[in-house]
Amino acid sequence: MFDLLLEGAPLYFSPASVLLTVLGIIGGLVIGVLPGLGPLMGIVLLLPVAFHLEPIPAMAMLIAVYVGGSAGGSISAILLRIPGTPLAAATLFDGYPLAQKGRSQDAIGLSITASSLGGLVAGIVLIFFSPVLADFALNFAPPEYAAMALLGLLTIAVVSEGSAIKGMLAGGLGLAVATVGTDEFTQAYRYTFGTINLTSGPNLVAVVVGLFALSELFVQIEGGNFRDRPQIQKLRISFRAFRLIVNHRWNVVRSALLGTGLGAIPGAGGDVSAFVSYAVARRLASEEEAYGEGAEGGVVATEAANNGTCGGALIPTLSLGIPGDASTAVLLGALFLLGFFPGPELFQYHADVAGGIFLAYLASNVVLIVLGIVLVPFFGTVLKVPKAWLLPLVLLLSTMGTYALQNSVFDLWVMLAFGGIGYVLRKAHYPLAPIIIGMILGPVLENNFRRALLLSRDGPMIFLERPISATILAIAAVMLVYVTITTVRPRKRS
Amino acid sequence: MTLTSRLVAAALGLAALAGPALADFPERNIESIYPWAPGATMAASQVIADAMGDELGVNISVVSTPGAGGVKAFETALSRDADGYTLFDGYVAPLVIQPMKGNADWTYQDFTPLWSATSNSFAIAVRADDDRFDDLSDLIAYMKENPGDLRYSPGVAGGIPHMVGAATLMATDTVAQLVPYPEIDVAVRDMRGGILDFMVTNPGVYNVNKADMKVLAVLSDMEDASATYGGAPLVGAFDIDIGMANLSPSGWNWWLVRKDTPEDVVTTLRNAMEAALNRDDVRQRLLDMGYVPTGFSPDQYEEIVGAVAGELEHGQKAIEWETEKLNGL
Repeated sequence: MFDLLLEGAPLYFSPASVLLTVLGIIGGLVIGVLPGLGPLMGIVLLLPVAFHLEPIPAMAMLIAVYVGGSAGGSISAILLRIPGTPLAAATLFDGYPLAQKGRSQDAIGLSITASSLGGLVAGIVLIFFSPVLADFALNFAPPEYAAMALLGLLTIAVVSEGSAIKGMLAGGLGLAVATVGTDEFTQAYRYTFGTINLTSGPNLVAVVVGLFALSELFVQIEGGNFRDRPQIQKLRISFRAFRLIVNHRWNVVRSALLGTGLGAIPGAGGDVSAFVSYAVARRLASEEEAYGEGAEGGVVATEAANNGTCGGALIPTLSLGIPGDASTAVLLGALFLLGFFPGPELFQYHADVAGGIFLAYLASNVVLIVLGIVLVPFFGTVLKVPKAWLLPLVLLLSTMGTYALQNSVFDLWVMLAFGGIGYVLRKAHYPLAPIIIGMILGPVLENNFRRALLLSRDGPMIFLERPISATILAIAAVMLVYVTITTVRPRKRS
Repeated sequence: MTLTSRLVAAALGLAALAGPALADFPERNIESIYPWAPGATMAASQVIADAMGDELGVNISVVSTPGAGGVKAFETALSRDADGYTLFDGYVAPLVIQPMKGNADWTYQDFTPLWSATSNSFAIAVRADDDRFDDLSDLIAYMKENPGDLRYSPGVAGGIPHMVGAATLMATDTVAQLVPYPEIDVAVRDMRGGILDFMVTNPGVYNVNKADMKVLAVLSDMEDASATYGGAPLVGAFDIDIGMANLSPSGWNWWLVRKDTPEDVVTTLRNAMEAALNRDDVRQRLLDMGYVPTGFSPDQYEEIVGAVAGELEHGQKAIEWETEKLNGL
């Protein structure tokens, strides 16, 4: 376990990686603070930049944005009662009341320290569990990969926000997009419409930027209020939170572990884990801690959990190649495009890269605690940036970044097209993450399925004869039945 | 902005654009468009790119542009200006095989060659602890008794490793189930896991996975090919003639630029590549990775590439023969 960290150390501890971690945390916090953006948007906008960097500094930057962005969302939740990201939705239950009592300083301090410590706890779990899981996955062959990809697709579609049916339809769209390109077995072109630009499918980064960044832009433009500047309290740097958090140490550990566990289940995601750990903390709390009226424990529980989820989501991403949520799906795509295949091979042949990524995650959380506190006054200023400045910047970054990928105007059309698709789907309340996951897992599923059939002497029986693939398929079947029942039967709402 | 200031700005802009064209080549970093996904083979191209970059005083980055059997990379490079800042890592697949199959509308004569880079032979390998097969004769005997029972992968279907593998099977009238993989690196995993029985490997992959595989025969008639597989026997030692000789049963690449690249730029690039390939440390690193520096000069391009193109037809026929056999099982 520690061998991995030792092997990764020379790769990670370079000026570039450390600097990019620091910049990534700052960028992540800023983008997390801004309502409507969030860690995924941060990763999406920086993805094109990442391809011009070495793999480890690139991943360090993206992971830092992921960590910083997940933590940053709480600040606007506390100050404005607008969660910067859905991850921070539960933070406003107690964060905002705490700020109303004139303790916004403490609320932000607690949320940053809890996020950081929650992330560190998750980091330790990540370092222990990923290699174990990856080691187990060494027994995987095409049937298991096909089964795992199917399970990953189903879980993410099912658990994603919105209805399960819409999630699955969005996943199906991703699968359809994934069929465009060159057939791996016969080298035949599929749906390329005679253009060479589509022979390896639409560029994943262009799709991601269009789907998430551009569609968000359209939605924000539609929302208007381009010149609004919120009124917020004046903020100072304060280290009091370091003292306060000690009172909540068990809450931090418990919430972080809950977050990590839920994060490791593909599709569960940070918003779910934040609400779950908030509910648990509330139940365990004493009478005098008035949850919902500004309890410190409420902020700690949600923030430790949602950052813990980031570490948790990295576990299946790195060890199995199955992303835990939309952000990790994009991180997974980045790792693919940087030339590394997440999964057992990553730990076996590129232990240094795996170790470097772990270190990047740990370091991000350490940097977060320092910068998060020091930069508090700055976030107050960031929150006052009106949309009229912000939206053109997002458009500029999206366009430049996507074009710079391979100097291709075609990629810009792809971005624009998926921006439109993303906008329409958002309007119809379809989740977008399953599309990306479908695009990433589609080829894994298809090619391993066909390969398994070639390897088989007995048609599809190969999937049932092998215990691991049979088990995974059984889980998928149970899940499908469960979803069908819950969808068909009218839901009771409490 | 007034009209005058706009004109001044435009003039300044034009001057800035015109500047580099007048300066000496190379002024900025160069890209070499590599046609496969990153892996063991890309490292060999990287070694040459680094050394050549040293000679030129700029950085040459190897850009992986996989897709459509190498065609995507060529199309990408063709879409760039013919200014020498984009090089083609001209692997045999996009250069010769894809046009032969009608998947690309160029021939090898449509490019200006720099120097040939490396060649690598392919070999038949089994799991290191597979005691069913001590040598190639055992494998062939088993396949004769149990046609279609074994499963093998040459990596991508239709590539040279597949041609060479199929040619070997055709020469011995044996058949095994073909299982294509996008990258040969991934096939190693499944051979190790026991789900594949043998594979057609390249020296890069062999070097990384030495401990897990046993090479039964090197599919080449060139003596130095054996050395890249730890001295494993050549296929000829088993009295098998696969019908492909010299360079044709191996993978090789020739670095190229667009045909209309200015002559002085071509000369600069050729000199740099020649100097890079002549460096002892570069040669040694390539050999250590299993890639033999071929060192054919630009004026040998026509003769060598032209000859190979003809011989690959045999490999293509072997694949067709194999498909028929597999369909008949």
